[in-house]
Amino acid sequence: MSISVLTANTRRAVEVHRYPVLVYALVPLVALVLQAWLPRVLGNHVWFDLPLVVTVYFALGRRSPIEGTLMGGALGIFEDALTQHAIGINGIAKTVVGFLAASVGVRIDVENHTIRLLLTFLLSLLSSAIFVFIYRILLGLALDWSWIGELLRALGNSIIALLLFPLLDRLKVKD
Amino acid sequence: METFFVRYRNLVVLLALLVAQIIGLAMQVHRTESGRMSFDRRDGGGVRLIRLWANALVSPPERLIHSTGQGVGSLWQNYLDLRHVRQQNQDLEKTVDRLRLEQAALLEDARQGQRLQGLVSFQEKYIYKTLPAQVIGASGSMQSRVFYLDKGADEGLRRDMAVITPDGIVGKVREVFPHSAQVLLINDQTSGAGVILETTRTRGILRGNATGQPQIVGIMADNRIKPGEKVLTAGGDEVFPRGLPVGVVEKVVPDPERDSFIQAIVKPAAHLDQLDEVLVITSTEARFPPDQQQDMATSETLKGAEAETENTQKKASEIMAERLPGLMDPNLPADQQPLNDSTPPTPVAHTPQPLHPDRFTPGAVPGAEADPQAGAAGQSKPAAPATSAKPRTDAPPRRNP
Repeated sequence: MSISVLTANTRRAVEVHRYPVLVYALVPLVALVLQAWLPRVLGNHVWFDLPLVVTVYFALGRRSPIEGTLMGGALGIFEDALTQHAIGINGIAKTVVGFLAASVGVRIDVENHTIRLLLTFLLSLLSSAIFVFIYRILLGLALDWSWIGELLRALGNSIIALLLFPLLDRLKVKD
Repeated sequence: METFFVRYRNLVVLLALLVAQIIGLAMQVHRTESGRMSFDRRDGGGVRLIRLWANALVSPPERLIHSTGQGVGSLWQNYLDLRHVRQQNQDLEKTVDRLRLEQAALLEDARQGQRLQGLVSFQEKYIYKTLPAQVIGASGSMQSRVFYLDKGADEGLRRDMAVITPDGIVGKVREVFPHSAQVLLINDQTSGAGVILETTRTRGILRGNATGQPQIVGIMADNRIKPGEKVLTAGGDEVFPRGLPVGVVEKVVPDPERDSFIQAIVKPAAHLDQLDEVLVITSTEARFPPDQQQDMATSETLKGAEAETENTQKKASEIMAERLPGLMDPNLPADQQPLNDSTPPTPVAHTPQPLHPDRFTPGAVPGAEADPQAGAAGQSKPAAPATSAKPRTDAPPRRNP
């Protein structure tokens, strides 16, 4: 893969994606609702994190670290609020993910599907690592977890990103 | 200074948000008496407000999806149900009849139990009132095993109410909102329920592990717990009434943290992954609920005499068995004991065997002589007499040593 593909050196690669306001409001809401509802259908096999995928998508597209940080933080806090855990664990993890995705989005070509897939996979792993770090180290709480589970979730997020990102791209406001 | 904030505004926003959340987290955990960190059992005002917002945002669409799916599904389901409703009705009538008989037989024991409880100043709580509720959503996280109900404070739900299904216990109400409630499942790592093993009467605390299986912790290693043993609620946690089914012991493993302790992995009686409708125990009383009292009265009237007769017969046979131990076969179950065999004993006929059987011998086939092969066979082994009864093949009762 050549450097020219990876770096954002063309006009198309550095453009900031814009969406209708309704998309900003509805897509995160649908992600939250589906994340909360799908376990009823799928049982314990929730190998994905839709709010994280949405955070990564908007952060990469908007290329604004502040927007990415705020969206990640808000979605993470709402995710925490639906559990019985303390509010802020997912919030911190997704705040960092949103910031990093947007920071990376400024420098590389995010139109490339392979890069998007790889980024989603890596950021999912990072989110899991931050979650476990906060839970076990920062708060000193007992939590059993497995690497395989986190890898599967990262893989699930990547597959969803592969399908969802092109669909969301269609909602972009064209110049 | 202004230039610094403008230049590093991205980092400043990130740090401000992280610090705010870390401070918020620190305010939500506390150290327990045992020195371990734990979440606060009750949320603070701010945290509760955020949970309320999240719930208000997510619950209405979930309710919509749930009711739409249910409406479409019920059309097909109703058709399928109607196809077999007549047969099901007959089966149910038989079951009700059998249960009435059982209930009438158990009624006297229950009354005696209540009298004894009165003597020792202990009042057992019975499930007095339940409220059916639909499951509309979950937390969406595998580390958090909670789900949401479509009923809330306005329908009479309160914190720490037990949630059950007819199969067994499910969890307890953790948080209540105006029109929905959050239920903590028994297989969550932060849950806890007092349980007792039916046979060994070993008590322990039930909580979930990382894989979402409930396990009983705090059992001494010298307890002889075997897989298959039933687990019931102990009634001491002030959430679940005593005696509700929890599940069965699947396997026993050593406690990784404490050498002299074991953990019993439990297979839950309720299908925790496929919950659609649950019952919330909204009230427990020290007496039977009115509908149950009415049902018992009906059972007593309809089946009381029958059950009493059956009980008397059973007791009489048990007394006989005790007095005549030789009539008890330890290898047979109680209902197949020779003593309980009500069929009249068949006399064993001893037919005198003729020295030279011919065609006039009772039981001989008239045309047997025409067939030389058959005749040979008939001569070598005479046919059994038609009138003679077949000897009893079951083993004679053995005498106990």
